[in-house]
Amino acid sequence: MIGIVVVSHSPALAQAAVDLALEMVGETPPAIAIAAGAGEGITGTDAVKVAQAIDEVASGDGVLVFMDLGSAVLSGTMATEFMTTSDEVRLTDAPFVEGLIAAVVLANAGAALDDVDREARAAMGAKQSQLSDREDGASVPENTAVDSSPDVIPSSVASAAITVEETLINPDGLHSRPAAAIVQALAGIDATATIADVTTGKGPVRANSLIGIMSLGAKKNDVVAFSATGAAAQQAIDMLVTMTREGFGELAS
Amino acid sequence: MSTSTISLDHVVAWLARFRELVTEQQSYLTELDSAIGDADHGANMVRGMNAVVEKVGAAPATAADELLKSVGMTLVTSVGGAAGPLYGTLFLRMGVSAGPVAELDGAAFGAALRAGLDGVVARGKAEAGDKTMFDAINPALDAWDAAVAGGADIAAAASAALAAAEKGRDSTEPLVARKGRASYLGERSTGHLDPGATSSTLLFQALADTVTS
Repeated sequence: MIGIVVVSHSPALAQAAVDLALEMVGETPPAIAIAAGAGEGITGTDAVKVAQAIDEVASGDGVLVFMDLGSAVLSGTMATEFMTTSDEVRLTDAPFVEGLIAAVVLANAGAALDDVDREARAAMGAKQSQLSDREDGASVPENTAVDSSPDVIPSSVASAAITVEETLINPDGLHSRPAAAIVQALAGIDATATIADVTTGKGPVRANSLIGIMSLGAKKNDVVAFSATGAAAQQAIDMLVTMTREGFGELAS
Repeated sequence: MSTSTISLDHVVAWLARFRELVTEQQSYLTELDSAIGDADHGANMVRGMNAVVEKVGAAPATAADELLKSVGMTLVTSVGGAAGPLYGTLFLRMGVSAGPVAELDGAAFGAALRAGLDGVVARGKAEAGDKTMFDAINPALDAWDAAVAGGADIAAAASAALAAAEKGRDSTEPLVARKGRASYLGERSTGHLDPGATSSTLLFQALADTVTS
């Protein structure tokens, strides 16, 4: 599992962002280290602390570093000269909060550094999509849509895909928590799955992308199409259908 | 004093004088930074240089590279703001360039500062006219190199460098900031001196004070 480092001017800001992200995952989250503040309650960043944080979470699968702004970025780049690990270390330009949440979910599902970084960098997409909807009905951001993703599904394979449609019954639709649950659930299954909102015509998006799923903005009573290919396609579909019919555990008991 | 080399004692005195100057001008630096930044440059530089002077005093160095690298690392871990990695890089790279020597002649000292500035540029991606410390240091080094090449002693070179740094610093006033926190202000950053260019000028004032006193 990759390691994650959070660099901020403010320890409180970093801790709160990490806490928010950890709400999305279970008992065994990825290794996350915070390098925030300049010591003694002083707002700022310290490249040596960042390097120590990188070394602390490096376990062979790479480290993704989030930074808030300004000197955090300078300290992040400088830290790569001080660290001792031979792990690949990626300084991501992903948005601090949205990117961290997306990254923690995907890292927890065992994704590789490249995939987690890409997901984190696409994390503004969900918000942009939600807000642009009001004016121009823009579709999902390109980098989470299946058409432009590196693991695009060839049409020849897609034609053999198993597809089912289900109606969302949980009160808030595919918001962050159900989206994270889907990413987690699919992590161990040998299948490539997509989700589209049939009601709004949005998607398909990759079902292993928290941000992609959230960018659909799928609401209660929307009909969504789950599509899967691969050896365990049926297993993936069955699970998605079950989760949907159970309202992702969000139905009032 | 007419000297042709800069000794480790000179470097230590230079750092101590720089600490005095940033302390004297702490509120001025902070005022400049409150106009276009986050109002912490004065406090950050004072905290950093206090740590440097304490560190250098605690364990006297015997070689320029050791001394300058220690200064750089101390700034990285004590300043907090962007000045930490930037000034830290300046001194770290100066140390690498200077090597394990006990004194530097004018050309070697100029080359060390130039290596430091190159490091700052690589770190901060600043160019001339971006309203940064580069706008003071770069002309100062040009003036230093020209003076040394023309046969000037260290004091004359430091004096020429200070004059060029001051001119460079003043040139930042009408500029629109393109780097750092000030860049968020865009056009509103004009009409103020850049805090980094101002503190960098103090570095050259400290040098001039040290080698001419």
